Amino acid sequence: MDRRDLLAGAGAFFGVSLALPLARALAAPGFAASQPLFTQDQQALVAAVSDRIVPATDTPGAVAAGVPQFIEMMLADWYAAVDRNDFLSGFATLEAVARGRHDRAFAAITPAQQDVILTDAMANTLPALPPRFFEHVRQIVLLGYYTSETGCRQERIYLPLPGRYDGAYPYATGTKVFSS
Amino acid sequence: MSDFDAIVIGSGISGGWAAKELTEKGLKVLMLDRGRMVEHRKDYPTEGKGPWELAYRGNLPPAEVERDYSNAKWGGAGSTDRTHFFNNDRLNPYDYEASKPFRWVRPDQVGGKSLIWGRVSLRWSQLSFDANKVDGHGSPWPIGYDDIAPWYSYVESFAGIAGARDGLPQLPDGEFQPPHPMNAGELWVKARLEAAMPGRHLINTRVANMTQDKPEQGRFRCQERNQCARGCSFGAYFSTQSSTLPAARKTNNLTLLSDHLVTGLDYDRRHKRVTGVRTIDTNTQEARVYTSRIVFLCASAMSSVHILLNSRAEGGDRSVFDSSGLLGKYIMDHSMRTTVYGVIPDPALDGLATYGRRPTGVYIPRFRNLDGQDADADFVRGYGFQGEGGRRNAEPAGFGKAMKEGLRNHGPWQIGFNAFAECLPYKDNVLTLSSKTDRFGMPLLVFDVTFRDNEARMMNDAQRQGEAMLKAAGLVNVGSHQDEHVPGDAIHEMGGACMGADPRASVVNKWNQAHDAPNLFVTDGACMASTNCVNPSLTYMALTARAADRAVKLVKTNAL
Repeated sequence: MDRRDLLAGAGAFFGVSLALPLARALAAPGFAASQPLFTQDQQALVAAVSDRIVPATDTPGAVAAGVPQFIEMMLADWYAAVDRNDFLSGFATLEAVARGRHDRAFAAITPAQQDVILTDAMANTLPALPPRFFEHVRQIVLLGYYTSETGCRQERIYLPLPGRYDGAYPYATGTKVFSS
Repeated sequence: MSDFDAIVIGSGISGGWAAKELTEKGLKVLMLDRGRMVEHRKDYPTEGKGPWELAYRGNLPPAEVERDYSNAKWGGAGSTDRTHFFNNDRLNPYDYEASKPFRWVRPDQVGGKSLIWGRVSLRWSQLSFDANKVDGHGSPWPIGYDDIAPWYSYVESFAGIAGARDGLPQLPDGEFQPPHPMNAGELWVKARLEAAMPGRHLINTRVANMTQDKPEQGRFRCQERNQCARGCSFGAYFSTQSSTLPAARKTNNLTLLSDHLVTGLDYDRRHKRVTGVRTIDTNTQEARVYTSRIVFLCASAMSSVHILLNSRAEGGDRSVFDSSGLLGKYIMDHSMRTTVYGVIPDPALDGLATYGRRPTGVYIPRFRNLDGQDADADFVRGYGFQGEGGRRNAEPAGFGKAMKEGLRNHGPWQIGFNAFAECLPYKDNVLTLSSKTDRFGMPLLVFDVTFRDNEARMMNDAQRQGEAMLKAAGLVNVGSHQDEHVPGDAIHEMGGACMGADPRASVVNKWNQAHDAPNLFVTDGACMASTNCVNPSLTYMALTARAADRAVKLVKTNAL
């Protein structure tokens, strides 16, 4: 085999046109929740929390990257029941705090109001919140975002086939970093 | 009339080499593997996929890991990019007392661990061949460096090893392609460590990931993806699929049967010959005996011993290959759960990061007990360090825009190492057969293996020396820890059919022939009489090629 043929083939294989394999894969375990877990209200809540943790900036945010669906899949099919219940109870607490303070759902209050509640959650000052709930939510949002195609290809630079290793690659603070 | 000239049991690193060498020298060969077929390129389902295309984004649910991969998880089976290349521990169990765990990490496919190995390829030196004789542990090696050196060259040239010629007597140079380069952080540490502590060396890890093409083999240089364990369509790293299997197939002398478990060997006691290989088709449960003039047993160290232990005469409970009484004894592994790390405090490196994902790192070769026993060493033999330098992403706290933008930054340059230490051969570290049987009726393998004082002292020394080296090199925030050292963890399990000159004190001779059956060659890790501290696969390759050369000469002169 000629090396350039292989590279050309690999370019197509590792490139963008993955719609078909992805469509097939979505039916397999580990891509979408095997059965719906969230109510509509929970979907809206998880979406709102996700987008405050990783908001849209000059690149898309968590919702555009499909993070809420990722979280639903992980809670439905990955976590043990005790951890799933902690998550759901923590989300319920956030919802109750929003309704108590603003008489509206978390998803319906302003981003600034949402941030105040999340800051309280981070500081562990909300009663009845499971321990380390905020950090767990933060971690699963970051995992979902930075392993998403959006996170890898838009927020970071995705190198499916680097072709070389440079151990002294010029880098300026604040520029994009490489995804896994 | 035999079915084949030779039967090769197992298709991993050793079996693949046996099949290549024997078929190229004109023998009709049957290669058997208990696992499923994996074809090069075609059967690498996760190759080239982004994180978002991997099930669960790369991590199998913990409940599934514990159910099916309770031991294989120590080799990475919980990563969904490679789970399909590991043994299911629930379906294929083994046994040990709860107080003496052994982490047996197995593959279950043609190609064996060659698809998922760490690819570190280091030569033994005379120092390590002499060790058993010098300090009296285990069975003395009947071969030395000069016996194996040409075979190292032979297998290195074919496999494609990238490394630098470092000129160190304890780690002989080989036939190398250019190394994968060190990064800025590693070069920084190398310069300062070697200046501050003469005798300590930081070198490129020597690795079976090519930096130059081998078009004659249809193999191309590494693309620096660092996703080797998914399989590599470039054939950039050595595996059975990329390297030895195509060579063996090219001869038209190879028959390969996947899904065939070998349960034991038939034996003619009068003529001291293996007369048949007992198999079970794992799909149909059909039993069949295949015959050949010679047999190469390369089923992986522990499985090869398993097969030998289960080769018992009708009604007997003792293996026909155990006239020495040493079959299944001297089971070893490296200990490796000592970690040292530090941060490089040099703002001059702030403007540098790494491009690409290098599939290897750096190595600190053994420096202890090189020239006789060190005065301050409370242990015999030594250890090396495998490590890597680099920069992680920054880890800003909080949430929102500032955190997201903060994640675009790198943290400081760091370097970290794991010590890999030699484990002494202990006669009472043993494998035996259980009264319980598996789904094919084969008795379970039982491990009774522990690390002892010498290993513990060496790990403590590695922790002290490792910290001292990083501090001497000028690193800051230097830290270290030891996790529980559990045998099997290094996936360098060895021994059980040790090599030696004396048939009363060893299981195979210096050509890897069983003392009890000269037409049986055991060339995988089972034959090892000691472990040295370096990764063993390259030595299995060289021993296998050497034994195959010998075997064919004996066949052609009708000595076998």
